[in-house]
Amino acid sequence: MILMPEVLTILILNVIFFIFAVIAFVLSVKIFLKWNFNSTDTSQYKLEKQSFLAATIIKYIFAIKVPLFLFFIFTLDKISHVLTGAMCGAGVVDATVYGTYLLILKIINLYLFAYWLMLHSADMKEESQPYTKLKFGVFIGAFFFFIPELILEGLMFSAIDIDRIVSCCGTLYSSSASSYISNIFLIDTPVLLALFYSNYLLILIFYFLKNRYLFAISNLIFILVSIVSLIAFFGTYIYELPTHHCPFCFLQKDYYYVGYAIYALLFGGTFYGLVVGFIDSKYKERIKNYNVSIFFTSLYVLLLSLYPIIYFIKNGVWL
Amino acid sequence: MKNKINIYLVEYAINAILRQKYKSLFIVTIFTLLTFLLTSVFFITNSIRYELDSTVDALPQIIVQKIKAGRHYDIDVNLVDDILGISGVNDAVARVWGYYYFENARVNFSIVGIDKYEQQYKNSFTNLVKDFDFDDINGTATMLVGSGVKRTMQSNYYKEFFNFIKPDGTLKKVRIAGIFDGDTELESNDMIIMSKDLFREIFNFEESKATDIVVKVANPEEIATVVSKIKLMFPDTRIITNHDLKVSYQNIFDYKSGVFLVLFIVALFTFFIIIYDKSSGLTSEEKREIGILKAVGWTVDDVLKEKLYESFIISFFSYIFGVGLALAYVYIFQAPLISNIFSGYSQLKTSFELPFVFDFQTLFLIFFLSVPIYIAAILIPSWKVATLEADEVIR
Amino acid sequence: MIELKNIRKIYEANKFDRVTALDNINLTVQEGELIVLKGASGSGKSTILSLIAALSKPTSGEVIVDAKQISKLSDNFSSVYRRDNIGFIFQKYNLIPTLSVKDNILLPLVSLNPHAKEVEEKIQSVMKRFHIEHKENAIVRNLSGGEQQRVAIARAYVNNPKIIIADEPTANLDEKLSHHFIDILRELKALNKTIIIATHDPLFFGLDFVDRELEIHKGKIVL
Repeated sequence: MILMPEVLTILILNVIFFIFAVIAFVLSVKIFLKWNFNSTDTSQYKLEKQSFLAATIIKYIFAIKVPLFLFFIFTLDKISHVLTGAMCGAGVVDATVYGTYLLILKIINLYLFAYWLMLHSADMKEESQPYTKLKFGVFIGAFFFFIPELILEGLMFSAIDIDRIVSCCGTLYSSSASSYISNIFLIDTPVLLALFYSNYLLILIFYFLKNRYLFAISNLIFILVSIVSLIAFFGTYIYELPTHHCPFCFLQKDYYYVGYAIYALLFGGTFYGLVVGFIDSKYKERIKNYNVSIFFTSLYVLLLSLYPIIYFIKNGVWL
Repeated sequence: MKNKINIYLVEYAINAILRQKYKSLFIVTIFTLLTFLLTSVFFITNSIRYELDSTVDALPQIIVQKIKAGRHYDIDVNLVDDILGISGVNDAVARVWGYYYFENARVNFSIVGIDKYEQQYKNSFTNLVKDFDFDDINGTATMLVGSGVKRTMQSNYYKEFFNFIKPDGTLKKVRIAGIFDGDTELESNDMIIMSKDLFREIFNFEESKATDIVVKVANPEEIATVVSKIKLMFPDTRIITNHDLKVSYQNIFDYKSGVFLVLFIVALFTFFIIIYDKSSGLTSEEKREIGILKAVGWTVDDVLKEKLYESFIISFFSYIFGVGLALAYVYIFQAPLISNIFSGYSQLKTSFELPFVFDFQTLFLIFFLSVPIYIAAILIPSWKVATLEADEVIR
Repeated sequence: MIELKNIRKIYEANKFDRVTALDNINLTVQEGELIVLKGASGSGKSTILSLIAALSKPTSGEVIVDAKQISKLSDNFSSVYRRDNIGFIFQKYNLIPTLSVKDNILLPLVSLNPHAKEVEEKIQSVMKRFHIEHKENAIVRNLSGGEQQRVAIARAYVNNPKIIIADEPTANLDEKLSHHFIDILRELKALNKTIIIATHDPLFFGLDFVDRELEIHKGKIVL
């Protein structure tokens, strides 16, 4: 167990989240089962009121969750100073069996909650509230992702053992490691880059064709492709070291916190890309989502591409 | 998503806070007090940790102590030569130091003996031997003292000289030659520096013995290897590295502030309940106001937003106010009372100055412990208010 | 424009204590019409007003305004509907006593989040129209009854609603001020607003610009 003020803070907020999430879950189930917009009885009227409570709670959780996620990364970095062997958050994530799953869950939940918010705002715009059933259905699903996240977080922090020596990111993200992450390095760099840029090209094409489903799917694939190419290729140029692949270190001050920009752009771009496919909004709204998505994604591709290009201009060679 | 902030709602929220003078004042006072306390504690621990960190950094990489019957014992000076023989070791120095209990003031001084012709294990000492001559011309022994020591001695009327009581009961008169400034206050406050010969005389310390041996290693990566080699050569030694110290200090402080935090949570929970209670029990006047707002076209969302703005403004204001007060309390007034909890036991130890350490993460930490928790407390009451039946409350 | 179909409204405190406030009300109001609902207190006229304003829902029947089912709107959209269509002048004015005149008049505009300039123009023009501009920054609590009513009228008018509803507008006014209110009413009628007034003040009976007078008795339209 690691009793750091930062960890305690996260745990306290998790307790609040848990209580609220349970309340919202119970309300969501009620609304999901009994919602009938055309009914005029008092029970429907009551449900309507309760839907506001559930929505407010979910909005609250999301509003705190986003900055708390950054705080979580910060905290991992801080713990890494105490753990022997860890250089950055990667070592802490790897220190327990829960770390990797927790991180993946956290990211999935960010997408889920953001998606819920989009549904909600679309729902509230129309008198007939067409998405009410759907959005609370989505939350019922999200609840089963959210609660494990809270539990895993508690387990992870209590399982961290200060006296144990952990791996640093240099060994975790290297081609010689035997973990599943190392499979990434089996892909040839040219193939990977071709994948990355052609995926981006596809997104661009579907943007101009305005094919919302293909646009969303290509965005979904892009999440994976871009993270893999970030670890395998672009990361090395950020560190200017051919062997350093860590996707955490560039969140640190030494790299001007560029990691936050990278991940924010990736999240923003792909999220709005998914929204285009998943939410049946009005034409004007959708065009706006298209534009926001393509803007972030292009900025992301540009930012990442600049690293190797600048390196080449400065040094005249590739890594 | 078009979520432009509605300034009229914000204005209304500010207005509402100002109109409920006593209620707002009550919340702001308690909230500010809580954030102030919490922030102060974190500022103090950060500062002390910073002091300790730099002290630890200034400490030698490896300290070798002799252990006899499980207790720290004087070590043979000869060991230095053997250790110097280990590859990777840059330097090894035998240190003599100890504590002198000054009965009149009931304090301990730490006394360090240094040798002019030796390689110094601390940068501050290197400068000292350059600028200062311990062999006094008049034959009287001299020493340098830390500022805290100087104060204590002065208040006991030792202005220029101090009399040490030797183990055999005789006195040794030593001249106070000046004040010593260390790298950090915490380190130098209770310290006295004198020549090794004088040290040995005062404590009747054998010529062939030393308190411990410090070892310098050129490449920090090799510390672990050197440690295991020394351990192999001299099994009766205890070896401490500065990294070990750093981690254990960090743990102690995290633990101390963790314990404080647990107490704080109890206070916060109480506050949470009070707020929940206060915002649940609305007067008919307040209910009527919400009814009117809804009757003239405010939606449930508008009312909810207004309530959330209200609570955000009031909690954020209290947060800023509390942090500001804590800044002044800790760094301008040097945190009377609270700092005693965190820095040691001896009277002398507490009088160091807290260095200004500003850490954004601490601000975030306190933010997460205050504003979201307050908003959580008013969430359900606000919803109850926002979904009141306008028709029923304005009749 | 406004249509009440087979409206029944029962207030139910508990199973044994039910009050039928409205019983089978059918009423159609044309655009620009001015209607006076007469009747003793407790006859159900206020209930009709609050149904039209979507402040309460009928137990059965339909309220239709501009071809839209008002009685089915959710809490949130009832508010939107009021904001966009209704100016309600309450019997007790229902102003917020601790706010200034200007801030009270601003209230219906808040949730639209309009430009500051537009807000200022609208507020100034209604304050002039209803002669309250000299009290702009006065706290409502300190105003006289007549002034408070003018603020209430200004607030009801500021979002330029199609329908204006007044519940016992002269109940707390002396005769002079009541006559003044009738002048204002004439003015509103000239602006082609649909107006519905519930009152038992004989001052409103037989006015030349009133289109219809309806008598409500024990929850039924009797005349």
